Amino acid sequence: MSASGTPTTPKETLSNVNVTAALDVEGNFPLESVQIDGLVVLKIIKHCREFFPSPVTGQLLGLDVNGVLEVTNCFPFPGAKAEDENELVDGARYQVDMMRCLREVNVDNNTVGWYQSTYLGSFVTHKLIETQYNYQQTFNNKSVVIVHDVSRSTHSNLSLRAFRFSQAFMEAQKEDKFTTESLIKNKLTFSNIFEELPITVKNSHLVTALLHSLDDYEHVIPKSASLDKEKVVSPLSPNFDTLELSLDPYIEKNLEFLLESVEEHTQEQNTYAFWQRSVAREQTKIQVALQKRKQENVSRLASGLEPLPEDDIHKNHKLPAEPSRLDSLLITSQINNYCKQLNQYSGPTLGKLFISGELQK
Amino acid sequence: MPIDAATSALNLSFPPTTTAGFVVPQSRSFTVSVNPVVLFSILDHYLRRQENQHRVIGTLLGVRSEDGSEVEVRNCFPVPHDETQNQNQVAVDMEYHHNMFELHKKVNAKEIIVGWYATGSNLNQWNALIQDFYSKEVMPPFQAIHLTMDTDLKNEEKLLGVKTYVGAPIGISAKPENCLFLPVPCDVKYFDAERSGLDLLASAKDELSRSTSLISDMDNLEKTIVAVQKMLERISDYVNKVLDGSIPSNNTIGRFLMDTISVVPKIDKAEFEKMFNSHLQDLLMVVYLANMTRTQLAIAERLQLLV
Repeated sequence: MSASGTPTTPKETLSNVNVTAALDVEGNFPLESVQIDGLVVLKIIKHCREFFPSPVTGQLLGLDVNGVLEVTNCFPFPGAKAEDENELVDGARYQVDMMRCLREVNVDNNTVGWYQSTYLGSFVTHKLIETQYNYQQTFNNKSVVIVHDVSRSTHSNLSLRAFRFSQAFMEAQKEDKFTTESLIKNKLTFSNIFEELPITVKNSHLVTALLHSLDDYEHVIPKSASLDKEKVVSPLSPNFDTLELSLDPYIEKNLEFLLESVEEHTQEQNTYAFWQRSVAREQTKIQVALQKRKQENVSRLASGLEPLPEDDIHKNHKLPAEPSRLDSLLITSQINNYCKQLNQYSGPTLGKLFISGELQK
Repeated sequence: MPIDAATSALNLSFPPTTTAGFVVPQSRSFTVSVNPVVLFSILDHYLRRQENQHRVIGTLLGVRSEDGSEVEVRNCFPVPHDETQNQNQVAVDMEYHHNMFELHKKVNAKEIIVGWYATGSNLNQWNALIQDFYSKEVMPPFQAIHLTMDTDLKNEEKLLGVKTYVGAPIGISAKPENCLFLPVPCDVKYFDAERSGLDLLASAKDELSRSTSLISDMDNLEKTIVAVQKMLERISDYVNKVLDGSIPSNNTIGRFLMDTISVVPKIDKAEFEKMFNSHLQDLLMVVYLANMTRTQLAIAERLQLLV
């Protein structure tokens, strides 16, 4: 890179590459995956569990390096209050204050996204769309939303998913037009609104040491009140909560939500059909008026007068605007989610059912 | 479970005091339970400390039980501090502490200041000074808890010793530096919802890269079943060896095994068949309906693009 053309040392080029990768301001490296720190996982779970079942949100902090979004810390947002006006101002001020305080203790001061808790997977709402759109727009496609489902994580596998909007959806949202033609133009359907990114969880060395010492259940401590030695179970002893058999509450709730979504979907369909019918009606009216105009013109030509223009007929009869298809997109996406959840839940449940069958033999 | 070597200390509480004939029962001695989030947070702060700092401190937030005997530490935040060369002086950014507490209170109003933490296992004069400051923050008559975490790993078993203390005055005059730290038993407690998260993090500890990815529900079930299978194999191994006579039999273990196995409920065969089949039918019907809905949506999706 020097003027004389001598090759730069390999070490220099290596550091150059790393720096450019880390400071990827133009968004050239697309995000491939999300790497979350162990601390962030626990903090998200704690916050979401405390306010279950109302939805809560928070901010993610970290850095994106080489196509991997590293999330190293997070902080929760205060809950929604009654008056909206004050809430907006307070929210912004809270964010600024929190970021400033965290910078003093060397926490990464870089926002990389936000997280939200959800109840049984019902997270595809307008609010989510707006917020994620703002984030993605501001941070140049480098922000994700992490969705945590509290009800699914209890008694079973941890449910944590990272989403961001697809390019097609961003384009459509930018124009804010969700008519049928714009959907076809962007090839946008309910299944490609979100792109899900794979998540990996990484721990620091000290944390790994901590986890090893938590696992070590050779230590026996006498309880203070009674003097007989009780063997205390370590926090990391095998977790058999996944083997619980009860299925009714979860499936019931899921089916309820599914029914509601389907009802909403039919409502949307009705609105669309109504619009189509009104468009057809307008069209026939326009045709009739045009015919009359033509006849008038013929008679006027016959009597030697100027023919009347046909344009103002079009101006008088305006076609009603097409309703936004965004709602139906969201609803179908939500229905798809519920169905997928039911499938995912019933898989292991079938397995457990057959195990208990075998035990009886 | 406490994360430190077994101590031979017994924690006793004072006998109930009688004040004007009214007995104040003190059935439990003072205990502290810590949420894993706090421990992880402390380690993260320690990793991000400034170049010249050997120790870091911060505030502990939590809830206290009504009679004050049990304290649950739920959250924490770091506080910048400065240890100058002069051993007698230490500067703690109090304004920062107050600001952060206000911000945290906005999110969760229930958590109050219950104490402070420091990394590094030794306790010296500046610990006493800071303990005094925090005792003023914590509403009297309750004591401020001091939690230390041995990040230098200097103790014998090389553990990250987590110890909690309460301060007590010592000496003739009541100066802030004169403080005796009384150890208090501490425990790691967490909620069910956090269990799955903790398990996921624990599975990362055995990997070289210290990272793990999220697994699907089926894989999680498989893991648990494999674990149960291994346990059953060990037990059957043991029982076989005892029957052969190679291991002396132990009555306690035998009785314990018998109790465990008899927990499996013995249901009449026909009844069980009926329950099993109806359960299975419900499940399969739900799966069928869900799949049908999905197919419908997929068709609609294709058609929409064609219009």
